[in-house]
Amino acid sequence: MNSIQVPSRDKLILGIMGGIGVISLIAIFMNDDEHHTRFWTNFLHNSVFFTLMALMAIFFLCVSRVALAGWNVGFKRVWEAMSQFLIVGFVLMAIIALGVFFNWHHLYHWADESAVKTDVILTGKSGFLNKYFYTFVGLGILGSWVFFARRMRSLSIDEDSHGDNHFKHYKKMKFWAGIFLPIAGFSSAAAIWLWVMSVDAHWYSTMFAWYCSASCFVSMIALTILLLIYLKNRGYYHNVNAEHFHDLGKFMFAFSIFWTYLWFSQYMLIWYGNVGEETVYFQTRIKEYPILFYGNLVINFVLPFLILMRNDNKRKYGTLILVSVIVFLGHWLDIFQMIKPGALHTAHEVSQHVMPNATPAAHQVIEAGVAHADAHGHVDAAHFKSGFTIPGLPELGLMLGFLALFIATTLHFLSKAALVPKKDPFIHESLHHHV
Amino acid sequence: MRRYNKEVIYGLYNDEEVLLKAVRKAKSKHLEIFDVYTPFPVHGLDQAMGIEESRLHQAGFVYGLCGTLTAFLGMTWIFTKDWPIIFGGKPHWPVPSFIPITFELTVLFAAWGMTITFYTICGLWPGVENPQLDLRTTDDKFCLAFDANDVSDSDVRSFFSETGAEEVNTKSI
Repeated sequence: MNSIQVPSRDKLILGIMGGIGVISLIAIFMNDDEHHTRFWTNFLHNSVFFTLMALMAIFFLCVSRVALAGWNVGFKRVWEAMSQFLIVGFVLMAIIALGVFFNWHHLYHWADESAVKTDVILTGKSGFLNKYFYTFVGLGILGSWVFFARRMRSLSIDEDSHGDNHFKHYKKMKFWAGIFLPIAGFSSAAAIWLWVMSVDAHWYSTMFAWYCSASCFVSMIALTILLLIYLKNRGYYHNVNAEHFHDLGKFMFAFSIFWTYLWFSQYMLIWYGNVGEETVYFQTRIKEYPILFYGNLVINFVLPFLILMRNDNKRKYGTLILVSVIVFLGHWLDIFQMIKPGALHTAHEVSQHVMPNATPAAHQVIEAGVAHADAHGHVDAAHFKSGFTIPGLPELGLMLGFLALFIATTLHFLSKAALVPKKDPFIHESLHHHV
Repeated sequence: MRRYNKEVIYGLYNDEEVLLKAVRKAKSKHLEIFDVYTPFPVHGLDQAMGIEESRLHQAGFVYGLCGTLTAFLGMTWIFTKDWPIIFGGKPHWPVPSFIPITFELTVLFAAWGMTITFYTICGLWPGVENPQLDLRTTDDKFCLAFDANDVSDSDVRSFFSETGAEEVNTKSI
């Protein structure tokens, strides 16, 4: 069995998911404020989430290569295929960068030139947070990731036909992986500052880039588990067994805890250090998004921690599928609450000085939330507005659409090459892997 | 020295793959294995010997939970009832600042509890001397031992020669 053939029924399901995504995107666009805040926040949210998952796939491949880890070589083609989504991600992020450049949207407060002039903090940060830096450096970083992802994949595929006993390809892969790791380490942080953290342009946290990457890493592992179970179900990857799933489960477990460590430490450092000016991030989320803020911890820490703690649960498909779905949705929600509050605040500010008389939907939500919080000390669930303070159905539909795009890209690239890299020096270690 | 008061017949193997095959064969022939001694952990040996999974980690969970509760409830009692102090303008019950210590005590209790349990179960304590069937099992030999009372001598000797044992000895321990 050399490469995969996706059954037409599965293609149809992917097509339907994509269709739901497009319909949701249109539905969001039609029921939006005049800046299309909801449309653009959702677009940014999903683009960043899936692009960073593709980055984490190539990152983990390179880590394995440099660390001489052989257990995952048998199914590394899945990660090589997932990392090719970076090409799609480049297009998606280019659309957002063009939007910054030509003022199509108001996602970022620092992109509003009149606000930057009067705001000391934004003026101070304008050397980094400006539309030129965002467009050229952001896309440049993404372009370098695409280069490395394509390089690693082409070397790996070339090894199938031209591999020899001197492991020329393997040595080259290790060389490129070694170059990529420091680049990815620093540039992913810069990209996350630009794309996600700068949504809260006044706010700053050194933990944020790690926190966001950990989120995407866990989701990447969860999606890998789901994809592998799907592929096994379709009769591929006989050699991937409970031993490999055990290791993937361990990674999901460990990185859920790593994510929690960062989630907590980010709060802890600001709270315990009495850094008053940085509390705004948590003030907004605890007061206006309490269910998402605390629910985040339950979904992404308590559930995977307790379910995956048992050895058996990391080896059984049932529990693995359950936890993978929970964790995938959980981290999607996590990115949701990283982006929405800041973007809504910006929409509110922008509409005040661009159109003083207009009251966009985002504006109304914030007003209602603040008024209600003043009267009772907490925000009532009745004041949540779907798409703004909690994800509504169109948001979930859009996520399905992006997921279909991601999976279709992965399966497309997976079908272009042999599923198992036969000439990789570590292939037998992977085939006879034992935990 | 720990005494089993047993007469043991054992074979020495040169390779762990040969040993694993011998263990599987002994299982299929219903020869009851007394123990296996190897210089390093052999993958798949536990499953081949049919040893049940250790319940040590379940005990570890309970120890960890004890640590969590000790730390959290202890600090709660100290800082709200026993001796309330204001630290850095924080409330008397500052849950976030309890988390690191709670985490550390969880790890400490689980680690110590599991270590002590493990050593107790295995009969290991300072000064204990464990029986060594053959000192070469700490270097490069793999030893498969049977209790001489459980199996017939001729059966075992033919089994050892079939499975490629390098030498066969008896010893009372």
